[in-house]
Amino acid sequence: MSFLAPAAAALALTLPVIVALYFLRIRRPTRVVPALHLWPDQIRDRQANVPWQKLRFSWLLLLQLLVAAFLVSAAVQPALSASVTFAPHSIVLLDASASMQARDVQPSRFDEARRQIRAMIDQLAPQDRMTLIALESTPRIAGSATGDQDALRRALDGINPTNGPADLTAALSLAAGIVKPGDDARAYLFSDGIVEPVRATFADGLPFPVEYHRIGLSGENVALTSLVVRTSAQSRAAYLRVQNFGQQPRSFSLEWRSDAGLIDVRPMTLAAGQAHDVTLPVPAAATTVTAHINAGDIFSLDDSVTAIARVPRAFRVLLVTPGNVFLEQALRLRTDFQVDVIAPAAYVSGSAYAMTVFDRFSPPSLPDSPFIVLDPPAGSPLAGGAAIGVGRVRGSDAGDPLLANVSLQDVHVARSQDLSASTFGRTLITSVQTPLVLVREEPFRQALFGFDIHESDFPLRIGFPILVQNLSEWMLPPSVPSHSFHPDELVTIVPETGATSVTVIRPDGSRRALATGSVATFGDTDLTGVYTVEQTVAGKTDRSWFAVNLFSDATSQLKPAAQLTLPPTRNATAAPSTHRGFIQVWPWIALVALGLVIAEWLAFHRGL
Amino acid sequence: MATPLLEPSLLRRLEALAVLVRRAVKGQIGGERRSVSRGRSPEFADFRSYTPGDDYRLIDWNAYARLDKFMLRLFVAEEELPLSMFVDLSGSMDWGRPNKALTAKRLAGAISYVALAALDRVRLTVFAAGPTSGGAPYRGRHSAQALFARIQSFPVGGPTDYSRLVWPISRQRPGMTILITDGLGESPLEPAITALQLARQEGAVLQMLAPQELEPDWTGDARLRDAETGAEREFTSTPATARGYRTALARRTGEIEEAARRRGLRFAPLTSDQPIEDMVQRTLRRIGLLG
Repeated sequence: MSFLAPAAAALALTLPVIVALYFLRIRRPTRVVPALHLWPDQIRDRQANVPWQKLRFSWLLLLQLLVAAFLVSAAVQPALSASVTFAPHSIVLLDASASMQARDVQPSRFDEARRQIRAMIDQLAPQDRMTLIALESTPRIAGSATGDQDALRRALDGINPTNGPADLTAALSLAAGIVKPGDDARAYLFSDGIVEPVRATFADGLPFPVEYHRIGLSGENVALTSLVVRTSAQSRAAYLRVQNFGQQPRSFSLEWRSDAGLIDVRPMTLAAGQAHDVTLPVPAAATTVTAHINAGDIFSLDDSVTAIARVPRAFRVLLVTPGNVFLEQALRLRTDFQVDVIAPAAYVSGSAYAMTVFDRFSPPSLPDSPFIVLDPPAGSPLAGGAAIGVGRVRGSDAGDPLLANVSLQDVHVARSQDLSASTFGRTLITSVQTPLVLVREEPFRQALFGFDIHESDFPLRIGFPILVQNLSEWMLPPSVPSHSFHPDELVTIVPETGATSVTVIRPDGSRRALATGSVATFGDTDLTGVYTVEQTVAGKTDRSWFAVNLFSDATSQLKPAAQLTLPPTRNATAAPSTHRGFIQVWPWIALVALGLVIAEWLAFHRGL
Repeated sequence: MATPLLEPSLLRRLEALAVLVRRAVKGQIGGERRSVSRGRSPEFADFRSYTPGDDYRLIDWNAYARLDKFMLRLFVAEEELPLSMFVDLSGSMDWGRPNKALTAKRLAGAISYVALAALDRVRLTVFAAGPTSGGAPYRGRHSAQALFARIQSFPVGGPTDYSRLVWPISRQRPGMTILITDGLGESPLEPAITALQLARQEGAVLQMLAPQELEPDWTGDARLRDAETGAEREFTSTPATARGYRTALARRTGEIEEAARRRGLRFAPLTSDQPIEDMVQRTLRRIGLLG
């Protein structure tokens, strides 16, 4: 047994003081009473202030001495040695990702982890410090390097499980950042091991060792891992994937409903590890469709999935060209584009198109909207210098998202206008001789091609339709994307032109107002379910929807990782000096003292 | 100018009351009370044979015609009520807020005034260690102020010895005796109550206590001093001891009430914070002492 506050033993001096008080007599005020004989013969020294008298045995004295003795015992804070070892600075990482909601341990993995951390906090020695990090999609410090047990308990209670993934790399970076040089630290990871793989190399190693405390037992789980609504010329259908991640066969019923009501209920049986794809009908009027299984497993977050069934709003796009089948086909690949093709002579400025593509033509005044101009005629405002021969082409920045999945390896351009002197915007595709494709964001997202695509083999490459797709999505992103997002994933919302208010209604009914007039990024997607985007345009309310589902095989498989691949500990870091934690017993002693105080009170009232 | 014992307005209201007696009384002079003596009044009582010396005016001549025998008509004589007030002015009564002795004096004055207004005869005696007579009996409304002045003139203090009341009580002619006391003296009250019964007194015991006696308003350590004897004792007031005191006081009050009722006396507990009119109009009317 150790004493955490031995100096408090000095308080034992109160014991002889109590005894001494019993040697003293009380200076009592005189009170005249009509009939002294009616008053019981009761005398007790309670506030002695006149010396001396003979010490008499008193139950009260005995009880008061006991109370004082127990209080002194509590004040010195006796503590028993605990099983947990602590470094002077403990960094506790609590996995708050979706998989920690599994109930294979009661009441849940997250609560079990929290219980174990709370026990650690209870055993913290006075000189120790602890940092609490919530391991979420964006890890955060909940309690920073403090020895205040109450503050740590409050910080721990402030962490709640989320539906998102756990970014262990970011959490370790965060932890490494708060460890000062020479700090004797050790990290404790309370997790089921279902985390995003460690990305960073931590070339110098971590400045602390990491102790992995595995939480969870089982991976018995049936999950809905995908739901997509596809619209063809003939019909609309939903494609659902159900998978049994467990080691036991499972029988359950699949419930299929739209926002209008129940559509179908069908029984299903899946063998261990089996996945099954189901095609389900989608009513024409449905806005959302939802699949639900009552598998009765340990994880409910992946038992319900939702998809948006409504076709997104179409954009009107104008292609002004003397004839360009490649461009026309590439534009029509977008299902939400309604493409009109006209000859240059038929072009009238001021048409209400969301985007215009000018092929070998340039109007006298360019529209105030997104556009793509290809090979503008000489003399037009965007025309470059004289045509020059071009050899190999390449991307200006290989990591540019506009060139994602666009291969320029076998692309050749015969000749192009010289755009070297163009101030149109930044270069997207270039060559040794001249920039070939320029893009700009202001005043609208626009692109300029310096060459006629017929003088290139680019339209014959797979990269061409992809580039057109990338550019069109960049210029005209869907107002509200209709596909499913993962929890905590950012959703880009483009307000309608003239929208006076944009509000997102979350699945729990809470509302978030977004700024109008610019592209908004919405990040409050931690809840799974259907999100409704309400936009007010010219006094009318326009609604669109997007869905958030777990859709994570890595999470749904649930089986806790026996080991985690963690970055090595920095070589220069000596093993931290650890010591055992303490189980403080003073609260129990204080409780006994409280009981004795009550006994003393009762004894006093009973006249002992 | 000294404060009057009772306000004139109260005195006017008291004139409407009368001291009630359960049985007929015998006084010395005519009053408004039924007397055990047969005398002159409109109310017929009985006949008896004529004996020499009787007032021949009382012979019933009609009876003589029928019986040929002298018969005297007897009437209920209306005489005054001999009312004796015994007021405790011992040291224990000089206590409390309001002071018990002062309240007892005012109550005695009020009851006396009711009697005087009805032409009853009032004898006043105060007592502590021994009885002190209040002088010759008072009779008639005009003597009320003298009685009030006399009551107010008595000092308060000294121990209570109820046994010293036996003699003056036993000397009383049958009538009404009212004893106002706190009943807290160390000597028992019972001999005085027994003396009342033996003296054929139709009486009442009015126990006067202060509210602070019924519910002590202090706690803690104290040196207690007896208001009568000056005896002292160290004491610690705790909830348990306060409970013990209240029990002892209740037992003492119960004993007095039991002794009074057993001997056919009326009993009423009073507190010194009660208005006199409230005592008279409510409490004393409720126990049938006044009406």
